[in-house]
Order: sequence, then structure tokens, then C-alpha cells
Amino acid sequence: MKKVLALILAVMMVFSVCAFASAEETYEFDITVWVAEEIKDLTMKQIEDFNANNEFGIKFNATVEPVSESEAATNMIVDVEAGGDIFCFAQDQFARLVQAGALAKLSPEAAEAAGAANTAGVVAAATSGDAMYAFPLTADNGYFMYYDKTVVPEEHIDSMEDIIADCEAAGKFFSFEMESSAWYLASFFFATGCESEWTTDEDGEFISVNDTFNSPNGLIAVKGMKKLVDSVSHNSSSAGSAFASGSAVVVTGTWDYNTVLDILGDNMGVADLPCFTVDGVQYHLGSYNGCKLMGIKPQVDEDKAAALELLGEYLTGEQCQLERFEERSWGPANLAAQGSEAVQANPGLVALNAQAPYSIPQGQIHGSWWDIAKVIGDDVKAAEDEAGLQTALDNYTAKIAALFTMTSDEKNAWTVIGTCNLTDGFFYTDYNNETRSNWTDDIPMVEEDGIWKTTQAYEMEIGVEFKVRQGRSWDNAFPADNFKVEEAGTYFITLDPATGAVELVAE
Amino acid sequence: MKQYTDLEYLRLNRLQRLGYRLASGFRAIPKKLASFFAGIGRGIGKAGRAAANEFSDIFTTFINGDFKTKMSYLVMGFGNIARGQVLRGLLFLLFEIVFIGYMVLAGGYWIGMLPSLGFQGREEVMSKGKFGRSVTTYVYHDDSFKILLYGVLTIFFIIAFIYTWRLNIKQNQIAEKILKSGKRLKSGRDDLRSLVDDQFHKTLLALPLTGIVVFTVLPIIFMILVAFTNYSGANDGRVNLFHWMGLDNFNAMLNWSSGATSYAATFGEVLAWTLIWAFFATFTNYFLGMLVAMAINKKGIKFKKGWRTILVLTIAIPQFISLLYVSKMFAKDGLINLTLMDLGIIDMEHLLPFWEDPTWARITVILINIWIGIPYLMLITTGILMNIPADLYESARIDGANAWQQYSKITLPYMLFVTGPYLLTSFTGNMNNFNVIYLLTGGAPTNYKSTAPGTVGYTDLLITWLFKITQGAEAKYYLASVVGILVFVVVAVISLIVYNLLPSIKNEEDFQ
Amino acid sequence: MSEKSITASRRHMGLKAASRVSNTLIHILLTVISVIWLIPFVFILLQSFRVESTWQVGYVVPKTWGFANYINLFDSDFPRWYMNTFIVAVVTAVLQTVIVLCMSYTLSRFRFKGRKLLMRFMMILGMFPGMLTMIILYRVLSDLGMTQANAVPGLILVYIASSGMGYYVSKGFFDTIPKSLDEAARVDGATRFQVLKKIILPLSKPIVIYTILTAFMAPWGDYVFAQYVSMGTSAGKNVAVGMYGWLNKDQIASRYTMFCAGGVLVALPVTILFMCLQKYYVEGVTGGAVKG
Repeated sequence: MKKVLALILAVMMVFSVCAFASAEETYEFDITVWVAEEIKDLTMKQIEDFNANNEFGIKFNATVEPVSESEAATNMIVDVEAGGDIFCFAQDQFARLVQAGALAKLSPEAAEAAGAANTAGVVAAATSGDAMYAFPLTADNGYFMYYDKTVVPEEHIDSMEDIIADCEAAGKFFSFEMESSAWYLASFFFATGCESEWTTDEDGEFISVNDTFNSPNGLIAVKGMKKLVDSVSHNSSSAGSAFASGSAVVVTGTWDYNTVLDILGDNMGVADLPCFTVDGVQYHLGSYNGCKLMGIKPQVDEDKAAALELLGEYLTGEQCQLERFEERSWGPANLAAQGSEAVQANPGLVALNAQAPYSIPQGQIHGSWWDIAKVIGDDVKAAEDEAGLQTALDNYTAKIAALFTMTSDEKNAWTVIGTCNLTDGFFYTDYNNETRSNWTDDIPMVEEDGIWKTTQAYEMEIGVEFKVRQGRSWDNAFPADNFKVEEAGTYFITLDPATGAVELVAE
Repeated sequence: MKQYTDLEYLRLNRLQRLGYRLASGFRAIPKKLASFFAGIGRGIGKAGRAAANEFSDIFTTFINGDFKTKMSYLVMGFGNIARGQVLRGLLFLLFEIVFIGYMVLAGGYWIGMLPSLGFQGREEVMSKGKFGRSVTTYVYHDDSFKILLYGVLTIFFIIAFIYTWRLNIKQNQIAEKILKSGKRLKSGRDDLRSLVDDQFHKTLLALPLTGIVVFTVLPIIFMILVAFTNYSGANDGRVNLFHWMGLDNFNAMLNWSSGATSYAATFGEVLAWTLIWAFFATFTNYFLGMLVAMAINKKGIKFKKGWRTILVLTIAIPQFISLLYVSKMFAKDGLINLTLMDLGIIDMEHLLPFWEDPTWARITVILINIWIGIPYLMLITTGILMNIPADLYESARIDGANAWQQYSKITLPYMLFVTGPYLLTSFTGNMNNFNVIYLLTGGAPTNYKSTAPGTVGYTDLLITWLFKITQGAEAKYYLASVVGILVFVVVAVISLIVYNLLPSIKNEEDFQ
Repeated sequence: MSEKSITASRRHMGLKAASRVSNTLIHILLTVISVIWLIPFVFILLQSFRVESTWQVGYVVPKTWGFANYINLFDSDFPRWYMNTFIVAVVTAVLQTVIVLCMSYTLSRFRFKGRKLLMRFMMILGMFPGMLTMIILYRVLSDLGMTQANAVPGLILVYIASSGMGYYVSKGFFDTIPKSLDEAARVDGATRFQVLKKIILPLSKPIVIYTILTAFMAPWGDYVFAQYVSMGTSAGKNVAVGMYGWLNKDQIASRYTMFCAGGVLVALPVTILFMCLQKYYVEGVTGGAVKG
């Protein structure tokens, strides 16, 4: 009797599972989406479009919250789990978000598709190490010049010196943010061909920098900057509304287009940045070419993660980028969308495009760089002579160098890493013990005739695993799989970097 | 320095007396500190003896106690229930059950994890390819933050349990004694009644103190502990664990090895400005506020209430509105500069650098702070001024004292006497005056010589700097926590000094 | 009349003239002060009626007047933020007053073991900067599910939980009420609770109102902690956090005059309350602030 009952129950369960499974053909998820206030309604509509049209029957019940791009990154870092499932941010926050683990890695399929469809600069901005962590949202985060035609005649807009003279004569401001924004003041350095390129690994950590701000060309750049900041007409601001309070020129981006148009009306002029002249040579001011990205919060549930990725892909696809352009003039990163006639004709984007030859993609930049570089403006203003300008650059380099405190010796040195207790010289197999360093502390080695060897012998159990690596990073590490101890004992560890052979030497 | 006798002291003039008092006050500091530490030493000794007494008491109670008492060592409240104090006994028992349950289910885990703060952070998992996507999903493991928080909470709980357990034993001891002497024990009804009478203070304090322990004491202890970890924006404890770092953070903050660019130099600069600011913010407001109050109080001034109301308006309007607006008024292209330019008083070459120049910015915040502070001081001093007996002034006037003499001989001494403690609290309050600085300047202009985190500016106080360190992508809670501890030390030392310098700390009972 | 009194009265007359001059000067001074103190508020008020543009401008008096900014407020999330703040303010005012009164009454009236220690302990606690504890409180609230959309109860909890620390002013006030009153009632057989209810509270109107008023005002201006608790959710914001967002770079040009209008609406309830209850506030401050 019991058996029959059990059978009936089992059959019923199978049926009910089947019934549920068929009902679950529509995947339904509650999600929170963080976007800038101005595209809130549009995004809501776009998500509904996605719900209606996707092939898998995915349905999102989305709460769209207005969270500005700068706020989103900060909030995500405070509490990743409470963050928006999808959120937008400016690219300068990217590395930090990856480090804090606030961005889900895109699947290879999505990375490939997004990489092909968008401008290379933007894709690079969303990539750390080999992995892509976000979808490109816009490619218009750059700056150019707005000016008041009644103050600055069109024949003067190519020369910074002429513009300064016009502003001074008219008692108006030349607004160019030099005192608190590295983003804007880098313009002068790019003009003279200086660069500051940073490399990150897959965890978002910065590995190296190629920075040439402190160079003969850098000195030319700060001389040009000095001309501007010393002018009485200079005002360190990048607000479009500055036109309403005495500015005749403002260097800012497309987001201020409507504000400036409202204030200046027909007198509004837009142009690429002017040139400055040092020692008779003209240099065209450069700029950063940045972007905004859309990221997905790391998910626990696989279905939801995959569904969110599809949604992210849709929201940053050609159609949605175009819709954002039509409604809010956000410049698309999507190559096909960039080619559309309307985008080509937009005056703000035209000016941005005119500036494009002189701009460089922003890439990944160390979070501290912004603070280190932004003081150059103040330093330059305070400098009294060329030596003072050179000091400003020297200070800058010193701080950059301090970010990478490792000496070249340390970078070249090999170390052992595994589960061990450094004080009592044991290696262990289980890491579940607080007295042991769990692949966090490196054991030093010294070189002798090209062979690296630990300074003491360590006691090891069977099955202990470790690796030998260079410069405390994983770029060069041996053996490829962990080294496994097969016989317990007390050993020195040696490495021949030439062959990569790791050996145990009994005491 | 010469030590004056009473008679010599009385011969000195005001200024000399003040100087003498200050000097002797400062001279007394080493002695005071020494006696403070000696006091701590004595306290520890005393505590040690007390603990020894406790243990011997617990032991003898067990030896001498009856069966009910002995049983209570294991089952809390047993003695109470057996002797008829059911309510008390049940409460003890309930507490024990809850405690044991908690320790088994959760507390043991948290305590056990405390030394390591967790072993494994978030893990990445490659998935199989739903919807044609091989996405990465994530598995969360340990949470350093929670381990630290609940670990501390569990320690609190254990201490509370030990205390209660001890109380339970003591009650048995007392009950035995009372019963032996033939008296009646308190019933549950008596207990309840005493909660609104003899023990009314316990009822009144229960709720507020619980709140303070959970929402102030616990976070502060947590904050202090954070200074010994590497808790930061990137090591949030959940995605990436944080760990104990020993004294590394204090080393980073306090070592002078890199001279003017070391964090310690920045700390010194910010501290100096914080003290200067607190001094000016306190005393400008104090004297000017008093002056305004006196002006309004003066006989023959009309619309007294009207003037007061106008000033008090500034208190009513939230600072984030008024200060943000004022801050924009003083900007380089703000209303004030533009108006002065329109009037032809200044030209573009001489715009006033309210927020651009360090000295200007510092003076401007102090001036604007006067604007904020005077109404409060006006309110506070008005009442006290009116309390000064009028006949004092009358007789002074008859003796031919002029207004200044009346002020310096009567008003000021009286005010200083009454408001001494207030001045101290307002000084320390100003050291931590976050709103004014944060809303007006946000710390600007930036001090670009500093390499310390948090983008220190010339108007930053320690408290705003601390806040900035915890903000944004580069948040370094561990360093902020070190700064917080240092702020505490500074405030405590200043309070200690000032308390010793004040002519008289009034006795609480004086006003009753 | 003795000679002395004659000179005194002469001096008195001279004084009268002098005091008339000085009174005039003081009137002028007070007028100037009043103008300076009112300028920002008048300006904010004027800006809130400006409809020709929404950004910051270099003049004060609007060229076109209108209520557009106020109307726009109701199209935004502002009403929600306003309600949040209002609820927080009212509930906090009530509960915090109860807690502060419990605390200060006890510390003023009872002499129990550990009282001095308790007061010293709270003084020391007060010396720790609270800024850093916010991240901890946030995580605790987040565990309790009182953040984001549920920020309102979370904020209330945090505001009232530690409010016992602010016992100082009202304790000072209670200290000024003669203890003999309590003792007389106790002799007549009243319990401590009855003493509090029947004797102390009726005498404490100013301090009760003072406490309510300060507790009611604080939530309107809290930006820093409220920003943590409500992060990423418009529905959980209070006015300070919400409006602060309007000053963000990407919004200020279109929201600046709305910010001013919102500011006027925020200032309104507090100002009105303040006007009505000013008398008690003053009595509370002077009764308590300096006599601890």
C-alpha cells in the first residue's frame, strides 16, 4: 500500500514539475536600473520594448532610478549588493569598479559583439586585462569650445591669444577649468604630444604607466597654460551657465549645448579648441575623448545574469543609442549609429568631431592621477619663472612615481607564494586556519649563479602547493600549474628562471 | 615661575591675574597628567582586587549556599523560582536560554571568525551558457564586515551574560540572607511597582541606553577596530575580504620619514587650521553675539522682538540651502563679484578671490560663520544678560562708571562665569563643525602640496578631511579611522586642559 | 537735594542726550545687520520666482515673474522627498523628546550608583567624530532592511537611538526646578512616576517645546547620513539629499531655480513653527544651555 502511495506521489510530482517548467518558459525578473535622470523615461520604454520583443520570453519588472553617473560608481562601491542591477557610469570610474568587484565580467559572446559594434577607444575603456566588463553607452564625453560671437569674432577662434585679448578687451571671462580638473588641463599637454597611458590587469589593478608630462614638450605645454591662467579674463569653470554670469568663452561638452543655446541664442558659436603659440610655434589644444559605460552588477543567479546581459546588450545597441541621441543628443558609441545622417549633422557633435583629430581616447587612468594632475594648474599659476614651471612638473612626476613604489629590483625578484606560516617555517595543505597566510604573503628568494633560492628551508607536508612568481605579479610564474609536494620533508625551494624549473632541495 | 601667596595675588591687576592663572594652569598639566595616569594605575589595581574579591565571593557563595543556590550556578533563576520570585527567575532563565541558543546558532561562529576576518571572498563561476551566453556568476562566501560587527556584538553579549549570571548568584546569596533573618522576599508585583518608584531611573534609562550602546558605542568600537585593518572601498569585506594589519595604518599616518610630504605633515597642517578656526569661530561669535544681544536689550530700543525674529530666521532655515546659496554668492563669478564689478568698484583684474586664495577662503568662512552663529549666541546670551541684577549697574552708574567699565567689570565677568562650560563645548563643537565647511567650500582651495588621501584643502577641518577620505572610489576607511582616533585624542586633551583652567566648574547642585 | 544728587541728576540728563544718540546709532546698526542677515533669504525667494531662465545668473530681481518653478517641483520627486522628511521629522520629534526627557530627568533628579560615570562616559563618547560610524550604521540598517526604499524608518531609528546623548540642555533646565517640590510630593506618598507626571512636566513646557523644535528641525538639513541610507533610490530620499542632487553638474543648469523654490518650501514649516514657538525656544535655550 505504502509503495503504491509513494508511486502516485512521485508521478504527481513529475507532472507538477513539468507543469511548472512549461509555465516558466517566461523568465521573470525584478531588477533595478540606475540611469541619469534625463533618460529615465526613455530607458523605461526601452526595457518594455525589450520585454515585448526578445526571443526567450524574458520579462523584466524594472524599477528605473535616477542616479547620476558620478553617484552610481560611488554608491556601488559602498555596497555592491544593494546596487542597481544595471547602472551607468563615466569611464574614469571603471578601474575602481573592477577592483571593488562591482562589475560582472561580460561573457565572451557579448564582449565580441560589443567590441565589433562600437568604436575601438570606447571598447578599450571598458576592458581591463583581457576581459571586457561593461557595454559602451556613449562616446561624446569630450570637450570643445563654446563662444559668444559678439565678443569673439570668427577669425579669432583659432588662436588662444586672440581670444584672451578679445575677452580682456570686453571685460568678459574665458572659462576653462584649469584649477580643479585634470581632465581639462591635460588639453595643453596633449597639444604638445605628451601622453599618460596606463595599463591595468584583469583585477583592475594598475601595473604600469607611460607618462611624458615631465619633458621638454611638457614644459612648452605649461608655458602655454601659464599664458591662459595669468590672464585676468581666465575663469576656472566648465559650466555652460557661466555665459549667464560674464563668460564669453566656455570650454565644455555636448551636455551643455542646450543651456548655452538658451543663453546665447543666435550669438552662440561652437568650435574646436584654439591653438596657442610658444616660441613662435603653434600647438593645437588637445582633449580627452571619453565615454560613458553601462555595467551589470555581479549576479548570483545564472538565469538572471544571462538575461541581464541580453538586456544590457539591447540597451546599448544601435537602436537604443540612436533613440538616446534623438531625445537627448547623447553621442553614440555604436559605429552604425555614428554613421547616421542626423548624428553627422548635430552641431555639438560636429564641433566634437572637429576636435577629434586632436583628441586621444581616455583609456584606463589611475584614480589618484586626477588628484595628482589637477594641481598642475595651481602650480603653474603660482610659478614665477621657468624654473617654477619645471618644479611643478617635477612634483607631478614624483607623485606619479610614488604610485608604483616597487623598485626595479623588487620587480625583477622572484618569490614563493602558497599557504604557509612565515614565522614557524611550515607549509600546509589546508588554508582554513587564520595563522597561515593563504596565498597572500610572498617568501623572498635570493639569486646565486642565476638560480633563485629561498633563504631558509621550510617544513612541508605531502600535497602542499605553491608557485614561484616574479615582481609579486602573475605575469611570470612557475610552474604553470601549482607545484605539488610529493614527499614530506624540509626543503629549500629553487628556481631556474631560464628554464622555469622549480625544485625542492632537501636541507 | 614665582608662586604667589593669596595676598600677592590679590594685589595683581586683572591681566596679571589671568596670566598667572593660565601659567599655573599650564604648569599643572604635567602633574595633572601624571596624577591622571597614576589614577588609571590605581584604578587597575583596584579593579584587580575587586575581581579577586568577586571570584572568592562566587566561590564561597557556592560552598555555603543551599541546593537552590548551587543549582542556580547552572540554571539561572532556579533559586528565584524555587523561592517564589517567579517573575525574576523566569527572566533569568529566559536570558540564559536565549544566550545559549544564540551562541550555538550564531555567536560561536562570529567569535571564531574574528581573529581571521574570513578566509574566502567572492568567487567567480563560469556558467554553462543560458540564452547562448556563457556568463560569469558569483558566489559570496565570508563577509569580514559582518564578522567584525557581529563578533564585537557577541563579545558585548557575553559580557552582559557574565554580568547577569553574577547578578543571579548575588541574588541567591541575598535571598538566603533575607529568608534566614525571617523577612519576606519581594514579589513580582513588588518588582513591577519599584520600576515606577525606587528603581524608576532604570525604567527611564533602559531605552535610551540601549539605543546608545547599539547605535553609538558599538559603531565607535567598530570604528576603532577598523584602524587596525585594511578596510577600504576596494576591500569592502564582502567582495574582497579585509584583514588585520596591526599598527601599519598608524605608521603610515604618523611617520615623518618623507618630511613635508608625509601624511603627518598634512595632519599637522589641518590640525593647526582646525584649532585656529575653532578659536575664531567660538570667540567671534561669542563676543559679537553678546554685543548684538546687548544692543537689542538696551533700554529705548524699539521692535526688540522684531530684530530677534529676523536673526532667528537664520536658525530656522536648513543650512544646506542657505550655505550653498551663500557659497555661490561668493564665487569668483558669483553675485558679489559681479555686483561690485557693475558698480565699478573692482575690475576684472581685481576680482575678490573669496574661495580661490587660501587666506581669503579661511577669513571668508570665519566671517560667514559669524553670520550663522550670532543668532544662537544672541538667543543664549539674551536671557543671561537679563538675569544680571539691575542694581549692580545702577550702583556702578552712580559711582560714575562708563559703559565700557560697566561691561568689563560687570557684564563680562558674569557672562564668562556662567557660560564657561558652554564656551568649551562650543569650542570642541566648532572643531567638528562639519556643515559649515563642507557646504561652503568643501575644503577648497586644494592644498596641492599634500600627498595624503582625500584631497585636502586649505579650509578642511579634520572632520571634513576624515569624511573626504571615506568618500568616492578611493575610500580608505582604515586611514579615516586613524584620523578619527587622533581627533578624539586632540579633543579629549583640549577638554582636559580647559577644564583644569576654568576658574570654577560649577557644582551641579548650585542651581537647585 | 544734596550736592551729590544734583551732580548725579545733571549727569543723568547728559546721559539721556547721549543715550538718544547712541540709540539712534544702534537702530541704524541693527537695520544694517538685519539687511545682511536677510539678504540670502530674500535672494533665494526672488530667484524662486524667476521664470525666464533656470540657471544661475548675475542679477537678483527676476525679469519675468511666475510660479513655474513651484509647479515644476510637483512634477518631480520633490513631493515624495518632502513627505519623507516630514514624516521623519514628526516621528523623530515625538520619540526623541520622550527619550531626551527620560534621560535628562533621570540624570537631574536621581542619585544612583554610576551616574557620574555614565555622564562622563557619554561626554567621552561625544568626543569621537561620528562621521565614520555612518558606514557602519548603514550596514546595520541594511541588514535590518531599513535602507533604500525603506529609508524612512531607518533614518528615524538612527536619529532617535542616540538621542539620549543630547540630554545636556534639558538636564540643565531640570536642575533649575527646585528639588524641594519633588520631596514634598514624595512625602505625600507620590511615586517617582507621579512626581514626573504631575509636578515636573507641567513646569517644563519651555524645555519640552525646545526639544521638540530642535528634533523637528534636524532631519530637514541632514544630508550626509541620509545620502547613505537612501543611496540609489529616489523614493527614499529626504529633501536635502534630493535637492543636493540638483546641484550636480549635469542638472544645475536646468534645476537651479527649482532648487531655490524647493528651498523656500523646505524653510516654510520650520520657520512658521519657529515664529510661533520662539518664546519657548528662547526660554529653553537660556534655561538649559548654560546651566549644566
